[in-house]
Amino acid sequence: MTTVGLILREPVARRTRQEYLYLVAGLVPAIPAFALALIAVVATALSLFAVGIPLLLLVLSAARFVPTWFLLPARATQGWTWPRIEAMPRQPPLRRAGSVLLDASRWKALAYASMKFPLSLIGAYLGTFSIVAGTLAATYPIWWFVDPDGFGYLDDNTWTRSWLLAAQGAALLLALPWFLRLVVAVDRTLINSLLRPSADHQRVATLETSRATLTADAASTLRRLERDLHDGTQARLVNLGMMLDRIEEHTEDPGQRHAINSAKGAVTDTLAELREIIRGVYPPALDHDLRTALSTLAGRSPIPATLTGDLHHVYGDATKAVLYFATNELLANVARHTDASRIAVELAETATQIVLTVADTGAGGATTDKPSSTGLSGLRRRVEALDGRLDIDSPTGGPTTITLTLPRT
Amino acid sequence: MRIVLAEDNPLLRDGISLLLTEHGIAVVAAVDNGEDLITATRAHQPNLALVDVRLPPTHTNEGFRAALAIRKDHPDIALMVFSQWIETTYATQLIKPGASKIGYLLKDRIVSSAAFIEALHRVNNGGTALDPEVVQQLLHPPSPDRGLQRLTPRERSVLALLAEGRSNQAISDHQHLALRSVEKVIASVFTKLDLPPDPTEHRRVLAVVKYLQGDNS
Repeated sequence: MTTVGLILREPVARRTRQEYLYLVAGLVPAIPAFALALIAVVATALSLFAVGIPLLLLVLSAARFVPTWFLLPARATQGWTWPRIEAMPRQPPLRRAGSVLLDASRWKALAYASMKFPLSLIGAYLGTFSIVAGTLAATYPIWWFVDPDGFGYLDDNTWTRSWLLAAQGAALLLALPWFLRLVVAVDRTLINSLLRPSADHQRVATLETSRATLTADAASTLRRLERDLHDGTQARLVNLGMMLDRIEEHTEDPGQRHAINSAKGAVTDTLAELREIIRGVYPPALDHDLRTALSTLAGRSPIPATLTGDLHHVYGDATKAVLYFATNELLANVARHTDASRIAVELAETATQIVLTVADTGAGGATTDKPSSTGLSGLRRRVEALDGRLDIDSPTGGPTTITLTLPRT
Repeated sequence: MRIVLAEDNPLLRDGISLLLTEHGIAVVAAVDNGEDLITATRAHQPNLALVDVRLPPTHTNEGFRAALAIRKDHPDIALMVFSQWIETTYATQLIKPGASKIGYLLKDRIVSSAAFIEALHRVNNGGTALDPEVVQQLLHPPSPDRGLQRLTPRERSVLALLAEGRSNQAISDHQHLALRSVEKVIASVFTKLDLPPDPTEHRRVLAVVKYLQGDNS
């Protein structure tokens, strides 16, 4: 298509219609949103006095829905979309109020509302004017021809002058699409910077999702591996041992019996070794429940360990596995590095978190800073991969309390 | 002896059935899940139920729960629970104080068929058979000032064998000790643990287990 053709066709193009429609329809949500932005300005000024703060909170609570209001015309005419503002997570009322006041996305939504209204108004007003006046002017020679006297109040009441007017109208109509395009482009820039999450933000969200998928995948792969070893390799080894045992029973020669017996011993050793390997991969008791698995760990600890508390909700394999391996690592650490005489393991749940505490009566001094403490720092990394925390309280002289906190997801 | 076997792995189910039959034990039913186990036990009223902990459909502790249900409904049927793993929680739930006719072994033990068959008979005759690993998990010293800390290594190993359900004679063979020495060691263990000795074999074990459970809770 040639440039001339493009310019001539553009005023009646679908895109122009959609942009015009977008600007006009955008006025509907823009009016209440603009009002909200104005109240926000007043409330901010008033918040120097105590009365302003509740008002500001109210405005910001409503501001959460501002991006959603604008979504309808944008999606219908431009196919644009952006995320809604999520509700605040459950937390104490005062903290929640603080989070609402500091929520950048709500402030940005209000900033958008304050600019969107004038922009839509200019776009819709000038757009409408161009269509009406431009069409009238462009067709002026026809009106003049039909009824020359009817337009007598115009100065340019001549046939030639009417053509000049027509040219002006046509120019206006031809310019209209580009004007609309400019306004919509400005709007789009505003949306990108104020209603859409920033590139960093989006990257963090993507990374968080992919990390969660990876950890879940890893946990389920390990679980499947454990199943395969249990149903396949282990069963086959037991069967092999039974076959050797039958051969042994039917053999008279003492030398051969001895050899078969050694082979049986090798099978049971392999079974024991395999069991330890599986314990390190994905302990089967996790399939049942975490507490069963943790009691066995406490039972196997060389230093007497007691386990109290329980979890009452169902968690993913990755969460259970981290709690299990953390307990294993922490119990082993106590045995390896301290002279503690007892260990207390406690499992608890709050509204938002899972808390595992391992406390020992040893001489303290546990840290992740020493080069020797690869176990603890490795554990910290595993916990952080699930957005959790590992806190170490271990003064010289003891006692040591290590607290592991995981979000409830 | 008539037994019902619950094992989901066909290879092991057939192997164990064969092994038992060769040793003169009648396998009246061999099933592969917990529900069928309960039905078969009710139908056949066997002397003993040999149960794998992990059974379909959940593959968690289906067999263990079925075993507990059987114990509740038919307390006279002996129970031998076996698994690829020993879990402390299951052990403490199976070995309630006063419990008898109960066993909890690793599957590895089947490989030593003579000892395995002996354990089945012992459980059937009212005794207990606990895997050394069960004993190890239940036997860890609960606190430094309790009696277990004062045991000598020999006393500890004898106590471990005792807790497994072995007779004095078996301990004597195992430790290469004279029977009289074994009796003396056991008497010394009970003194140090502050437990009155008891003439019957499995009640001794239960006394030990009760002591262990008391310290684990």
